[in-house]
Amino acid sequence: MKVELENLTKRWGDVVGADSINLEIQDGEFVAFLGPSGCGKTTTLLMVAGIYKPTEGFIRFDERIVNQMAPKDRNVGMVFQSYALYPHMTVFQNIGYPLKLKKVPKEEMQKRVQRVADMMGIGHLLDRKPAQLSGGQQQRVALGRALVKEPQLLLFDEPLSNLDARLRLSMRSEIKRLQMELGITSIYVTHDQVEAMTMADRIAVMKDGRLQAYAPPEELYDQPRTLFVAGFVGNPPMNFMEVEVDRENGDYHARREGFDVVVPPDRGEKAAGRGKVILGIRPEDVTLADEGVSGEIYVVEPLGRDDLIDVRIGDAHVHILADPTLRLKIGDNVKLKFNTHKVQFFDPATEDSLLWT
Amino acid sequence: MAQTTVTSEALVDREPPSRWAQFRATLGAWGFMAPAGVLVLVFFFIPVIILFVVSMTDLSSSNFSEPWTFIGLENYARLFRDKFFPKILTNTFRYVILTLSFFNVGLALVLALLTTHIERRAGFFFRMMWLLPRITPSVVYILMWRRIAHQPPFGIINQLLSPFGVEPRYWLFERPWLFVILVNGFVGASFGMILFSSAIEAIPRDYITAAKVDGASTLQIIRDITIPMIRWPLLFVTTYQTLSLLTSFEYILLLTEGGPGLFTTEVWALTAYKRALKTYFGHNQWGYGAAWGFILVFIGIVLAFVYLRVFRFNELVQEPKIDVL
Amino acid sequence: MATTVGPKGYGVEAGRLYAARRVFNSSIAYILLVISIIPIVIGYAWLIIATFSYRTEGLLPIDADGNVGGWTLRNWAFLNDPAIWHVTLNSLVIALGMVIGVGFVSSLAAYALSRMNFSGRKGFLSLTLILHAFPSVTLLIAIFFVLNFISKLPALGPRFGYNTLGGVALVMISLDLPLGVWLMKGFFDNLSWDMERAALIDGASRFRVWWEIILPQIKPGLAALAIFEFLSGWSAFLIPFTFTVGTRVANLPVYLRQLISDTAPTNWNQVAAVGLFQLIPVLVFFIFTQEMLLSIYSGGAKGGT
Repeated sequence: MKVELENLTKRWGDVVGADSINLEIQDGEFVAFLGPSGCGKTTTLLMVAGIYKPTEGFIRFDERIVNQMAPKDRNVGMVFQSYALYPHMTVFQNIGYPLKLKKVPKEEMQKRVQRVADMMGIGHLLDRKPAQLSGGQQQRVALGRALVKEPQLLLFDEPLSNLDARLRLSMRSEIKRLQMELGITSIYVTHDQVEAMTMADRIAVMKDGRLQAYAPPEELYDQPRTLFVAGFVGNPPMNFMEVEVDRENGDYHARREGFDVVVPPDRGEKAAGRGKVILGIRPEDVTLADEGVSGEIYVVEPLGRDDLIDVRIGDAHVHILADPTLRLKIGDNVKLKFNTHKVQFFDPATEDSLLWT
Repeated sequence: MAQTTVTSEALVDREPPSRWAQFRATLGAWGFMAPAGVLVLVFFFIPVIILFVVSMTDLSSSNFSEPWTFIGLENYARLFRDKFFPKILTNTFRYVILTLSFFNVGLALVLALLTTHIERRAGFFFRMMWLLPRITPSVVYILMWRRIAHQPPFGIINQLLSPFGVEPRYWLFERPWLFVILVNGFVGASFGMILFSSAIEAIPRDYITAAKVDGASTLQIIRDITIPMIRWPLLFVTTYQTLSLLTSFEYILLLTEGGPGLFTTEVWALTAYKRALKTYFGHNQWGYGAAWGFILVFIGIVLAFVYLRVFRFNELVQEPKIDVL
Repeated sequence: MATTVGPKGYGVEAGRLYAARRVFNSSIAYILLVISIIPIVIGYAWLIIATFSYRTEGLLPIDADGNVGGWTLRNWAFLNDPAIWHVTLNSLVIALGMVIGVGFVSSLAAYALSRMNFSGRKGFLSLTLILHAFPSVTLLIAIFFVLNFISKLPALGPRFGYNTLGGVALVMISLDLPLGVWLMKGFFDNLSWDMERAALIDGASRFRVWWEIILPQIKPGLAALAIFEFLSGWSAFLIPFTFTVGTRVANLPVYLRQLISDTAPTNWNQVAAVGLFQLIPVLVFFIFTQEMLLSIYSGGAKGGT
């Protein structure tokens, strides 16, 4: 099912939950809503579910406006962060509840619940109460309950954030596999950008109720449209520093105190002559070299596979990833090579990208 | 945005008018409210109006079947002219002020302080004991008190005090006020006690510890820390119990019926009740009793509004996090 | 006390003094509390002694000859009188009526007030609060007229009019509603929104959500309210006394009151037995549900704290 949000806005008095959201989700697509807490992603999700009524704007399912449609008529399945299982019902009753409400005959209900439960690997737990299950099992029950009604749209509200790290990893791939197999259009709300990047076909980044970007993960990563997106997506986060870009002898130089790199003309051109702009570069695009910008190591944080190194260049700081076997120490002087084909430029006032509009 | 306008117009055809949907949804919610709403209407709102209307008529059991005569504020005038009006007014003030200060607030506070200063289980036990009078059916409770203050040789007080050389007497008859206040106070104290003790237990231990480190004595701690920190519950209990006492009469009715003698312990609420509904001779002066009653209702309504304001109950109200009905 | 110097030069002395003061303080507290409950204990003691004795002087049972002693069960002979079972049944009907009535009506209204977004909600909420503070006994005079009016209605009259059990129960239910709604609303306020959202998405209507999902979550709250209402219905005196005449619809407290009539000499020991009989269910609840009662008798007044 195709989902379209048009100018979707939710306000409570003066408080704005979501502010003119425009996006469309193709049939079978897996879309993540990504943003910090309070950014409006759950509000938007609940409007799609029918729990909140939009103040303005429209929600369309396959061209049909559903603003006034009750949640039960929308044929959506939803999985909650708190699982929201009914504690007084058994696993069977929990999964079967949507079918009971649809007055599905007993036998068919039995079959469908069993099938979904087996698919989720909880077929042997049907007589238990939710309180007797582990967090992972509870989440599977919640997923089963969402799937059993064969919804046309699946909604996930941070479903994995209450699980421990290992379980989160395995559930992540499981949800993704299920979604691909069943081909159900899905919206997945999360504040974890790794989750969004690994699972989603497209990511909608939100901040303060507004849609900041809506793009496939690679595009979001390589062509961030706003400063916020650039900083929020990617781990460790992108480095930013204020520079001035000038054209000199046909080359574009990005300069600040103690820093001068030549940037490719296609990028430099868009940032040149604007006075101060913000240069962004990801840690993995800065490497140690024999030649280049010199700096002094300020902090070394071992991450295991890499060391995260904070290098001070003048009064700016750049984080880079380095091989731990180099045994770099605080105070060492290093030279940095910037992969200038990956630099980003942002307008410091509007915080929009100067490269991608 | 031009595109938006087009689609918005298209919407009108396909969607039922949202106003209608909203109305239907509101009806659904009112369905939940309906039983309570009807009962409140029938037993709160309509009675207030009836009371006011009846208070301006001469309706009584002697002219019940005849048409009512509207006599304006005559009942109110008569009420103030009543020979026993000053007596009843003083009684009411005496009853409210003494019970409130000695028991419903005073003793309640003492009990709360005592039960929170001793071992937890023991404190709980004493609080439960103090809850007994409130939970005991009023008739049985009064039965106990009547025997406690009964005439010799039956009265228990006499028996307990005789070793101390106290002359046996019929306490309830000779000291009716003492017992009116005791009887109400022993029930009333538990309300404040419960609220105060939970408020005292909610005071962070750190404050007390800090004060002890600073060398404060128990009394100083109570005066300087505990009391200021429970001032809201104190104010709440005081105002709330003032209103309850002002309008309560069940225990007095059972204990003395306003006697002994003429209007000795009769308070305002009891007068209203007796005039309108339970006279000795079966002559119920509904109109006149309603005038007494309506003055209390009026005070009740005004004070209820004031509480609502002062205690900001509205701020406890959270907004629903589901829009659909 | 001999002055000893502790390992650190001081402290033993001060420590002992402090400990002694604490013991002293709490003993005073215990003594005061014990004194305070003496009247309560005496009242109960008399009731129990009197129930089983021929007659009492003070707290002493006295036999027919005026000597101490004379235990008897004859005061319980009233149990053979069908009248007592009739009024007991009436008491029970009122009490259960209140449990079901207040429980059902107030949990419906409280659900809407707590969890539904409808126009008029704010108004109803303020109204609940005002009524909660409002002294409903002042309305008894006017309610007399309302019941009289209901008596004249064709179908309702015989069931809910003046001098009917239904009428008494209805009045008592109504007057307890503000408290019930306010308490239940407090319980609903604490429930998870996600669970309710999940049920709505699963396809339930608001009424089914209330009945199948929400009510099972607040069973402890419902139980507390039920106990409270049972006790207040069981012990009710003023309203049954005011709105009934004679013994047909009298409940236990009214019956007991009639026993202590002013005209005939009162058999106090039989009265005590009836009183104890009436107290039995109250004490059973009291013993087994203390904490629940303690919280509910503060009457949802937590808001003021």
